[in-house]
Amino acid sequence: MHDRALINVEVNIVPFSTGERRKRSRGDKRILELGSTIKSTFEPVVQTSLYPRSEIDIFVHVLQQDGGLLQASINASTLALISAGIPLHDFVCAVTGGVHSTAPMLDLTTLEENDIPHVTVAVMPKTKKVTLVTMETRLHVDRFGDIFKLACEAGQVIHKEMKRAVSERTQKLVTAMEMGPRVVPSADVGDRDAMIDDLNDY
Amino acid sequence: MAATSKSERAYIQSALHASPPLRADGRSLQDFRNVLLETGVSPLANGSARLNIGKNPEEGGGGTEVLAATKLEVEDIETGDGVEGGRLICTVTCSPAAYPQLSMNALDDLQYDYTTVLHQILSHPSLHPKNLGIIPRRKSWLLNLDLVILSDAGNTYDAMFLAARAALWDTKVPITRAVQYQARTVGETLRAVEESMDVEGVSPSGFDTRQIPVAADFELPDYWDEGEPLEGRDLWPVCITLNVHEAVHFLDATLSEEASVPSQFLVAFSFPPSSPSRVQAIRTIGSGELQPSHIQTLVQEAEKYARQLHTALNAKLRDEDIRRHQKAKVKFANR
Repeated sequence: MHDRALINVEVNIVPFSTGERRKRSRGDKRILELGSTIKSTFEPVVQTSLYPRSEIDIFVHVLQQDGGLLQASINASTLALISAGIPLHDFVCAVTGGVHSTAPMLDLTTLEENDIPHVTVAVMPKTKKVTLVTMETRLHVDRFGDIFKLACEAGQVIHKEMKRAVSERTQKLVTAMEMGPRVVPSADVGDRDAMIDDLNDY
Repeated sequence: MAATSKSERAYIQSALHASPPLRADGRSLQDFRNVLLETGVSPLANGSARLNIGKNPEEGGGGTEVLAATKLEVEDIETGDGVEGGRLICTVTCSPAAYPQLSMNALDDLQYDYTTVLHQILSHPSLHPKNLGIIPRRKSWLLNLDLVILSDAGNTYDAMFLAARAALWDTKVPITRAVQYQARTVGETLRAVEESMDVEGVSPSGFDTRQIPVAADFELPDYWDEGEPLEGRDLWPVCITLNVHEAVHFLDATLSEEASVPSQFLVAFSFPPSSPSRVQAIRTIGSGELQPSHIQTLVQEAEKYARQLHTALNAKLRDEDIRRHQKAKVKFANR
């Protein structure tokens, strides 16, 4: 394909991500399916025609999981693409929803996913278009309409939080660009416990 | 692993032989970059650690980052793969994000190389922890040590061994209690009895050696207790990679320095608390040649560096223990 970029998604689940250690080979069907679902979610969203004859790789690392794996992967991929500066048509916000007898639930844990029918919905919040709906369990058609609408609304809420995080980071970048190189006072680093993530300012 | 041109390699090599020796980031030959370590990063694992060498504090990125975690599994000795006294399996995974220029096959080869080195060195019988058995001849623990290389900026071997050591230090083995099942003489019900307790109605004499109680299963006396630390955690080795070019050797190479040096010399030392240090493993990497007399000097030098690294690592691990337990308790009490 010489007029657009190719999107390649690879998912790597570490064996110690769940309570029970499970070493999944890279060719595992579930993992490949997860990767291709994420790829088809982002294909209409990334402006691939701006990068002909190139490949955009999305590497998803699952360090810990307790339900909502697809939703978390999609949300993380959206933020990663934005922080890489890759042009997107819109954010992609995903959320899982389920129905327990008649009560709707959002963002299910593993125990809940094993028990109740659930659906994962990914929306583009500005245009209100849905880019992914996936469900592997059986749900009554009357209940489905309600939970689908609820999940779309939840997508809007997640969009607000994502926008806040992105503008905070952009603000820091702009300040850094204006300030020039920063001299780090090394005197006080020895006093406190320097955590790896603390040093991630930009 | 970085693509370096001939002139770049020659430039780095001649700088090493200058006096004083020069390196691209201004370090001396024995200087390590900043090492960041955090233990207990994976609460679902029995022990975990995340280590980063050379993360730039001003720009907040890069460095060689390795995530290590241990998980314990129960194995059956008679019917399964279990070994008397337990066993240890080490696996290394390389993230494709760390090596974007490598194909899947090349990545698999690299993973396999790292896995072989780590597994052979760490699963050696001289380092085997003594509390990995559960019930003799029936059940034992399998300790799975998984390492993930999240990013590579040179010196991966040292980083992996440091992370592995930290994760093993952090590992807690659940305390088990052997349990014996005994059939009731009256009625057909089975119930679990502790070895030390008397069965109601039947009181076996302690001197009755015709029926020696044999443990068939085990239980956790306290479900919420994480357990006792892995035995022999002082013995886990510290590895030092010496990058050798003719008569000069230096530590903690960056990617371009690694590509410019024909041979690397890996030595793993174990420092038992009350015995002299011992060499756990020696490996040569690369296409260069090393004279035996040179190797002797290198091993002696490596012992000095490894000792310093070992002291620094132990101090940090103690600090981490304090931060996670005492300081956390104080913070919680003062909330």
